[in-house]
Amino acid sequence: MPASIKLKSARVVAAHRPNAGKQHLSHDELLQIYYFMRLTREFEESIITLYRQGKIIGGAFSGNGNEATAVGSAFCLKIEDYLFPMHRDLGAHFVKGQTVRNLMLQHLGRGNSPARGRDGTGHYADSSLRIYGNISHLAAMIPVATGVALASKLRKEKSVVMTYIGDGGSNVGDFHESLAMCSVMKLPLVLIVENNQYAYSTPIAKQFIVEKISDRAIGYGIPGFTIDGTDVDEVYAVSKQAVDRARRGDGPTLIESVTMRMHGHSVNDGAEYVPKKLLDKWKKKDPLLKIEKQLEDKKILSRVIKSDYERKISEEIQEAIQFALESPYPPAGDAAVGVFAE
Amino acid sequence: MAVVSYIDAISMGLWEEMERDSSVFLLGEDIGEYGGAFKVTKGFLNHFGSDRVIDSVLAESAILGAATGAALVGMKPVAEMQFADFVTCGFNQLVSNSATMHYRWNLPVPMVVRLPSGAGIHGGPFHSRNPEAWFFHQPGLKLVAPSTPYDAKGLIKAAIRDPNPVLYFEHKRLYRHIKGEVPNDDFVVEIGKGDIKRNGRDISVVTYGSVVHAALEAADILEKQDGVSVEVLDLRSLMPFDKELILTSVRKTGKVLIAHEDTITGGIGGEIAALIAEFAFQSLDAPIKRVGAIDTPTPFAPTLEEFFLPTKEKIVTALRGLAAF
Amino acid sequence: MAIVDVIMPQMGESIAEGTITKWYKKVGDKIAKDETLLEISTDKVDSEIPSPSAGLVAELLFPEQKTVDVHTVIARIQTDVHAPLNPEPELVQGNTQSLNPEAASVLHSSPEPANIKHSVSAETNRFFSPLVMNIARAEGISMGELEEVPGSGANNRVSKKDIMEYIEHKKSRPESAHVKTSTAAAPTGGVEVIKMDTMRKAIAEHMVRSVHTSAHVGSVTEADVSKIVAYREKHKADFEKKEGFKLTFTPFFVDVVVKAIKDFPLINASVDGDSIILRKDINVGVAVALENGLIVPVVKHAAGKDFAGLARAVNDLSNRARTKKLMPDEVQGGTFTITNPGIFGNLFGFPIINQPQVAILGVGAIKKRPVVIDDAIAIRSMVYISMSYDHRIIDGALGGKFLQQIVHYLENYDLEIMN
Repeated sequence: MPASIKLKSARVVAAHRPNAGKQHLSHDELLQIYYFMRLTREFEESIITLYRQGKIIGGAFSGNGNEATAVGSAFCLKIEDYLFPMHRDLGAHFVKGQTVRNLMLQHLGRGNSPARGRDGTGHYADSSLRIYGNISHLAAMIPVATGVALASKLRKEKSVVMTYIGDGGSNVGDFHESLAMCSVMKLPLVLIVENNQYAYSTPIAKQFIVEKISDRAIGYGIPGFTIDGTDVDEVYAVSKQAVDRARRGDGPTLIESVTMRMHGHSVNDGAEYVPKKLLDKWKKKDPLLKIEKQLEDKKILSRVIKSDYERKISEEIQEAIQFALESPYPPAGDAAVGVFAE
Repeated sequence: MAVVSYIDAISMGLWEEMERDSSVFLLGEDIGEYGGAFKVTKGFLNHFGSDRVIDSVLAESAILGAATGAALVGMKPVAEMQFADFVTCGFNQLVSNSATMHYRWNLPVPMVVRLPSGAGIHGGPFHSRNPEAWFFHQPGLKLVAPSTPYDAKGLIKAAIRDPNPVLYFEHKRLYRHIKGEVPNDDFVVEIGKGDIKRNGRDISVVTYGSVVHAALEAADILEKQDGVSVEVLDLRSLMPFDKELILTSVRKTGKVLIAHEDTITGGIGGEIAALIAEFAFQSLDAPIKRVGAIDTPTPFAPTLEEFFLPTKEKIVTALRGLAAF
Repeated sequence: MAIVDVIMPQMGESIAEGTITKWYKKVGDKIAKDETLLEISTDKVDSEIPSPSAGLVAELLFPEQKTVDVHTVIARIQTDVHAPLNPEPELVQGNTQSLNPEAASVLHSSPEPANIKHSVSAETNRFFSPLVMNIARAEGISMGELEEVPGSGANNRVSKKDIMEYIEHKKSRPESAHVKTSTAAAPTGGVEVIKMDTMRKAIAEHMVRSVHTSAHVGSVTEADVSKIVAYREKHKADFEKKEGFKLTFTPFFVDVVVKAIKDFPLINASVDGDSIILRKDINVGVAVALENGLIVPVVKHAAGKDFAGLARAVNDLSNRARTKKLMPDEVQGGTFTITNPGIFGNLFGFPIINQPQVAILGVGAIKKRPVVIDDAIAIRSMVYISMSYDHRIIDGALGGKFLQQIVHYLENYDLEIMN
């Protein structure tokens, strides 16, 4: 049992996944997953704070409660796989190799952010990491992810595309058109529906009458699974299965990961419409607490490691905030250039 | 050099590009086995195989989104909307994704969307659209509209080679009605460059697509019957469009008629008129005139559609009005 | 030491203000970074606001329950370290390239001049297009000249074709169409220069001034003067024996003019600004041709003279006119003039009004002509009479009627009285 684990940079983690062939996670891998989940939680808290201080403008989103789904699923991906995350999947960005600094720059809309200030939050793309961020129209990126999966198949690449959508978003036409295309053409897509009980203020009872969203998979003749989105092991295992299936060329999988949206839709939403009892129930299932307890029980996570991680995470985030605050906005005239590729 | 129909010129161009670049592939409904609703891609499946000629599910948003995704990672998809009218089903993909990705992400999206468009074939309101104006207004999309077989071949090649999303408006009525000389070699018509199809001194007609032919006939009538010399400028590219060519022509003649088959209000003719008014005001010897379809959905009955469309006669009338001003 | 501002954040795109519900600290309290400083309430959400810095609370600028606009500074923290930047870094005003380099080049390529004159002249209703104005300006054609250019466009609009043709035409003619006052080309060979004498100068000045003063208009009529001709034939020998001078036709015309003026007194007037001066005396000038010019002696108070008196006056004045023995007041004060373009055999003339009069009568040659009387052809002594008059005060109706009155008196001359 190592006293402290040498943290590799996220990019290195993404590049080398020694146990990637196995279904089960090693202790090291679990610690890495824990790190990413903790990082995600702290990062988003800092974003909310910055927003309330007026340093982040526009809006901010929180994936509080979704950390296990985002991190656990992305952890299955290889470096050649493609990630199309949604706005509560920040953890997936980190797993795929994105830096804290870059995501902080993104949120602060600076000129040296990945999107050069032209779009904020997670709406950026980094083709070297094969991360393609979402746009505000929900489900609109699923057809694009489908196209990337198509390209992968046509070029015989064996790379897999993982993307996400919410419970409400799974009603959008693009969700269905994409599944139609992927299923018929056996495209290597893993589509994870994050059922966090609410689409803005609309509870799932008003979105669909099926018991499980994963039942929609039956309509497309593909495998569908409903899983506990707060359990990293379950998330990883089912996602891994889906990724392997896609890589084999057998087609897409629909995974419904059940969690709770612990905060409002955005930082501007007080979410009074969520019954307090529901929140209290899910608070007990906080994925971060869950994995902490799990690792502590298994004696994988010691207090030393935990505080070491906390310190490193805090430093990394503070450094990123400082760096971003000192970075300039893009020059005004930049707005006019770059509509077309030369 | 061969005399080839407009539709065959498109097929020629597509074929040559697919031979030339293995990353080019086709995606659309009924384009493989069936050869396409208009038979543009007849024979392609046999020759290029099902990995390059893909019969898609019936889902325009998925088609356009998938084309965007494939282009994003370096392939060159040519998506087909069976009729231009159906592009509205995938409108969001084009204007929110395809058009904005380079601006936001600095990543090129080298895709082409072929849109069989236009009226005059008794298609009714949903098989007759000229939807270019909506996309003209979206920064990040290029638009082309050839009127001749030569331009059709040259522009499909240029569109495929362009690293940006290009909407290719092929006019259905011209498919088999228009024939012309098309070189067999690998030539490209530069996107953004118009073409003077007929030189003239007295009036400029700025036009594109199917109306080019009506304009040429009208110009002939004015020459023979009225002794008025009309210049016909074929835009060929709608975005970007050849501003210099337009202004040069107007400065020469002093009178201009803008004509397109799209409905008049909000059609791109208005933008061209504003450009001329702003930058060639001092050269104008008459108000800028426009001819377009009337502001209704495309009606079905032949008498209604005739009234709806801009015809050679309507262009002649407009030109005569300008000549007499 | 530095002061850090705490601002009211914007909790949502549409939120414009927030209410301070509770301050968690007092002025002077210590506060840690990210520690809650206050709680706010907005339309959308209630929120705790963390402090941007560690330090001491220096100022709380608004009380609880106060609503302020977003981005307002609501508190200040005094830090004891080099403070981080204020929330909003200065927007770097980078290079402000023109929006669209393509558009800019189009703009620059346009050769449009900066100042544009109005197409519609203040004094005219004609419309001139921007192109025509441009061409006119380039060719140095003034607005006044432009207004005269004929137009073949709609509503007689001057089109590009019209102005180009006009310019062509102008270039191909050696002299210009309109009057130029001082374009004296130096005389070359084949030319004789004659200096004008006083009379010539005066005539030239008077004629030009008259044309520029009066709105000349003319009417022509003919009169059957056979009776007068016959009478003169019959009595001229007796007249000459009695009076000592030949009887000409002039006194007949003077007499008739006087009678007609009595019927139409407005003919005997002049114009002063926007007043019409009606003259009571009828002073008839009679133009006399001289060797190198002409002169118009005036028969004063012609209305008071009988036929013989008129004849004597005309004779006397004409003689002395030819011998240059007229007195100054004998060539002034006329109210009407008669001139004789028929003296050399011409049919009629277009005389210029003798200022400040408003009408002048031109009498043509009396000739025998076939005329129709009661549907039969007769040979009569006819004379054309033309009158130029000033349309400022004499309209065509009046001028025409006056002329016809003269015809009436001529054709019905009371010859009995004369015997």
